[in-house]
Parts: sequence; structure tokens; C-alpha cells
Amino acid sequence: MASEPIVQVLGVHKFFTRGSEQIDVLQDLNLEVADGEFLGLMGPSGSGKTTLLNLIAGLDKPSQGDIWVGENKISTMSEGELARWRTRHIGFIFQFYHLLPVLTAYENVELPLLLLPLSAAQRRQQVTMALDLVGLSDRMKHRPGQLSGGQQQRVGIARAIVTDPTLIVADEPTGDLDARSAEEILNLLTELQKSLKKTILLVTHDPRAAARAQRILHLEKGQLVEKGTVSAGEPAGVARDGDTAIKEGRPAAAVPPR
Amino acid sequence: MRYLWPIERLLRHLNQTIGFKPPSSLVIGAFFAVVLLMIGITILVFPKYSSFIYKSLRRNFLRTTLASMAIMVLAFVVTLVWSILIPLDAAMTEQTKDFKAIVSERWQVPSQMPYAYASTLEEGGYTQPGDIRVKSEDSMTWSFYGGTTDPEHLSFENIIFFFAMEPRKLPTMMDELENIDPKLIERMEKQSDGCIIGRDRLKKLNKKVGERLKVTSLNYRGIDLEFEVIGMFPDNPRYNQSAVMNRDYLQRALDQYQQKTGKKHPLAEKNLNLVWLRVPDSETFSKLGNQIMSSPLYSSPAVKCETASAGISSFLEPYKDILWGVKWVLVPALLIIMCLVMAMAISINVRERRTEMAVLKVLGFTPRRILAIVLGEALVVGVLSGLISAALAYGLVHGVMGGIPFQIAFFAVWDILPDALWWGILFGAVTSALGSIVPACIASNVKVSEVFAKVA
Repeated sequence: MASEPIVQVLGVHKFFTRGSEQIDVLQDLNLEVADGEFLGLMGPSGSGKTTLLNLIAGLDKPSQGDIWVGENKISTMSEGELARWRTRHIGFIFQFYHLLPVLTAYENVELPLLLLPLSAAQRRQQVTMALDLVGLSDRMKHRPGQLSGGQQQRVGIARAIVTDPTLIVADEPTGDLDARSAEEILNLLTELQKSLKKTILLVTHDPRAAARAQRILHLEKGQLVEKGTVSAGEPAGVARDGDTAIKEGRPAAAVPPR
Repeated sequence: MRYLWPIERLLRHLNQTIGFKPPSSLVIGAFFAVVLLMIGITILVFPKYSSFIYKSLRRNFLRTTLASMAIMVLAFVVTLVWSILIPLDAAMTEQTKDFKAIVSERWQVPSQMPYAYASTLEEGGYTQPGDIRVKSEDSMTWSFYGGTTDPEHLSFENIIFFFAMEPRKLPTMMDELENIDPKLIERMEKQSDGCIIGRDRLKKLNKKVGERLKVTSLNYRGIDLEFEVIGMFPDNPRYNQSAVMNRDYLQRALDQYQQKTGKKHPLAEKNLNLVWLRVPDSETFSKLGNQIMSSPLYSSPAVKCETASAGISSFLEPYKDILWGVKWVLVPALLIIMCLVMAMAISINVRERRTEMAVLKVLGFTPRRILAIVLGEALVVGVLSGLISAALAYGLVHGVMGGIPFQIAFFAVWDILPDALWWGILFGAVTSALGSIVPACIASNVKVSEVFAKVA
């Protein structure tokens, strides 16, 4: 293994009930994500990608099984504990950015820091650093409505990294962007992973986006199928990884790259 | 006095100790300053949330303004109604010690007893040893003399209503007149046409202390009297519209009427309206009541003895249903409407911002924090609207109009107490908190996965 797993999903089962009907979304799912890994998660609509992402990010709880992130068993935490845990450990990047329209870029990025015991000066330093990192320090006083889609997503990324989280989860971060902006965002994510050694979990439909990941997992009918692995720090490459996975026919429970 | 509320008490204290009576604009200004200071402290303590709440309220400025205006209108009406209900309620509430009994005609409203009753009733109907004997300083008689200074153009401004009584009973029997200038009493005793008038009434009559006024009576037809204004009551909303005259002056005028016309005035034998007696406790009151009501001295017409609150209640009997409706239907209805207005505004707000609430949750805001944010938004709107409407009510009614003219029993004018300023805040705060609690709970319990599933 390249490094210790930062995420461990152990025998997770997730189902929803609609009336008397039980809908199994994830079934006996096992997954490990190494510290500093860039993992791509693909799959058709309804395959359970977002559900898995929500479970790992502590936004939902598994019906069965355990989830560990770092040293925290998040599957048994209360809602309040999860909220506090997310502040420190999770950076979430949304497809539709979801910036608060009444706040400036600076204030949007500052939002998660309000929950931490930091002075105004410390918050200012961290926000400025995060906006610098995404190349938007000159737009910090702009409201989301005054920014392009790509810029808004970069603010979203700055908001996700400003607390220096253990794990960054991105749900279709390029899904609402044109090709050029999407490329910029992917470059930024790749750079974050390389330079800051951030662990990134990326859910996407876009093969080009998935190609930036070091490892791609495919989720089908609630079970994982590994489509490709490469050595740490090296992008997966869609065609080659897909071929490899198909040839190897790996099991659903994926093991991080060694 | 039961309805001496904190700000009212403070203002009176200032007036009595340093002789300073702040104008209503200064009271409102000072109150706003205190509230703004408290808001400032809150912002300093919770700077992160305050800014967020402020910006959220600005998001849909028109909606926030409309909701705020609705609350202001309702809080304004509630404050006005409350200002009438509070003193009425206090007057009708029984005291247990040192309370006053009222003796009045038993079978007729308004009470019109023969003046001959006065001398014995003042002693509590004492006739023989063993009876309860009320001390002189613990009793007073009232005759009501009302009139106008301009009979050709009768209006609220030129009407005056006197309590005809013994001047020396003013400091001993009238509430909150213990410190009235003794020289005024002395002068009124000597000069029977002297009268004391409340400052607001004097202003309305366009008269000053030292001037004379001629009153054409409205209830004692043919008994028109001329008075010299020898002084004003201490500044007190209770007496600012009142007037007191020497009862001997009225009696003399009635005698003169008989001498002049050769016949008694129609009210000559029935001009004692009320007798007030102070009793130390309910046991004494009970005995005194029996003593008076069973006395053969007061058989035609018969009299009744009741506590002041019961007496006032019987005066208010014709208004009973209206007052009940105002107290238990109108006021609650207005407060419920305020809650609903707030609930509606906050519900729409929360529904529009479900995604935002979910994002806040993702970022780590606990349900409790989200609840606090939504409640905070509602409270800011409610408190500020309540404060503004109460300030308007106080400024307009007290500062500009000098009270609402609306005669109920002994109460001729209804003023808005300065304490209405905090009542307004209280109404706004409570109704906004109650109205927004459900939407706030909905916001705090928003399911992140459901919201984003719908968004996607």
C-alpha cells in the first residue's frame, strides 16, 4: 500500500424504504482510500455513487456496516457530532457550487471557519491563502452572481480546502461547466492533490475528469467494480485503466494502489 | 399602585428627585439608544452570526419590509389596547391590605346619594361604641361636576370634569398625591373657588395657573361656576387630565340656586356620588360593609359598600362584554395574526433556502446552529418592528395627542405609558419566536441527501 488508508468502508449496506418497498442502494460494500490518494468514482445514474459519497462525508448513515475516516468511526456518530466532525475533516465540492448568493467570495470561503475557534485575523489569513491557491484573490469581494461558473467553482474549492480537511469529496465538480472551465477545475484538483497531498474522492460521469484520478472505481447496482489502478501520483488514463480492469475483472471490494 | 411599570417609575423618580421630566422624544431616543447598545453588544458577542443574519434579511428586502410593516401595524394596535387594559385590570384587581371601600347608591347607576349622608358615611356609619369608626384622614367624598368652558362649541378640548371633595383629603386619600404641595391644599381650603387641574387638561383648555375659567355645567344645569386655577397636579398620567374643586363651593352654589329661584336644584338632594373609606384588611371591610348596609341611616336610598375594585367593576359593568372581548378575543387574535404573519414570512424564506440550509449542514453547521440562525432572523424583524411601532404609539399618543380621549368610568383619557416601548419589543419578540419556531425546526431538520438528490 502507498500509505495507510484514510477511509475505510467496511461491509456497508444502505437501503431506502419507499412505502413497504426496500430499495437497496449499496450492498455489502468495502472500500479503502489511501491517505493522499485521488480516487475517481464512476457509474451510471442511480448506481449509488452519491449515496456512497454522502456516507463517507458523514452526510448520511449506513443501514449496516462501519465507516472509518482517519481514527473516527463516523457511522455511529450523532448528527451533531457528525456536523462538528465535517467542519474539520471534510471539504465538499458541489456540482452546482452552492455558494451563498448574499455573501461575497471571501465570506463564502470564510463560512466553515466561523465554526472553528479562530480569531478574525487567523480566518482572514486562511481565506486569503485559499483564494490565492485557486487564483481568485482579486475577486474576493465579488458576489457569486458576479462570477463565472468556473470562478464560482473555484470559490467552492477554496471553501472546501480552507479548513485543511482530511478528505475532499467532489460530486460532479465539472458537471455544470464548459470544457475549458472544467479543465481548469480538474487541473486545480490535481494540483491540490499533488502539492498539498490532499485525499480526493471524485464522483463523476465525465471520463476526462475520472482520468485525472489515480484509481477509478465503478459502481454498478450498489457494488464496486475497479476499472483501473496506477501507481500513486500518476493519473489513471481512462482507456488503459478501463482495459486493465476489464481484463483483470477485479472484485467489487477495491483495494487501494500498492 | 399595581401598574407602576419600571420606566414609568424611573421617570417619576427623576421628576420627584431632580424635577426633570424628559419629553417623549427624549424617552424614545434614550430607549432606542439602549436597544441599539444591546444590539451592538449582541453583534460583538456573536459577530459571525449577526453579519450572516443581516445579509440574509437583506436578501429579499421587500418581503422583509412587508412582514415587518405587518408586525408594526399589529403591534401598534396591541400596544394601544394593552395601554387601556393594564390600568383597568389593575383598578379591578382586589388588594388584600390597605384597600379602599366605595360606598355608593345601591340600586342606581350612576350613584346619586343625598349629601346629608356625607357626614356620617365619612365615619363609616359610626353610631355607637363598638362600631367601626373610620378616621377622618381615611375617608373622602366625591361629587362629580362636569362642564365646558365654551358651551357654544362643545368639544373634548373645552370640557372639564371636577371631583368635588374636601381639599385636605387629597394627600391622604388620592393615590400618589402624598407629596402634593401643602400650600396648595391650604389655599384651596381658604379659597373655595380655587381648583387644581392636571397639566394636560390645562393645556387643552389653554389656561395657566393663576388664570380664571368660567364653567358652564353639563350635569348641574344652571349651576355655572367660575374658578381660579391655583395650581397643577404633579406630573402623573393619572392626574394630567383631572381636576379637583372644593366641595363646599358646589354646595354653596346649590344653596344660592335655591335662594335665587325659590326651589331646590334637581340634584340638591342627590349630589353625593361616592364615599371612599380606607380599611386595613378584608375582615374590617366585611364588618364595615355590614355596619353601613344594615344602618337605618341609609335606607332611602339604600347604599352598598364594596371594595374599590368591585366598585370600579360595577361601573364597568356596561362595558364588561366589550372589555372581555377586547382582552380575550381581540388581543389574542392580534397576537396570533402576528405569529402567523411571521410564520408565513419565515416559512417562505426557509422553503426558498432549503438548499442553502443543506449546504450549511454540509459545511458543519449543526441543526441547533441553523435553528438559531432562522430564529435570529425572525427575532431581529420582530424586535425592531415591535420597537418602532411602540415608539410610534408612545410618541403619537403620549407626545402629540396627550392621550386617547375615551371615557370609561373614572378614566377619561388613556395615555400610553413609556413602558409600552418594551411591551412592543416583547410582543414582537414573542410572536416572532413563536411564529418562526416551526419553520426554524423544519430548516434545522433538512435532509442533506434529499435536498441534493432533488437539486441534481
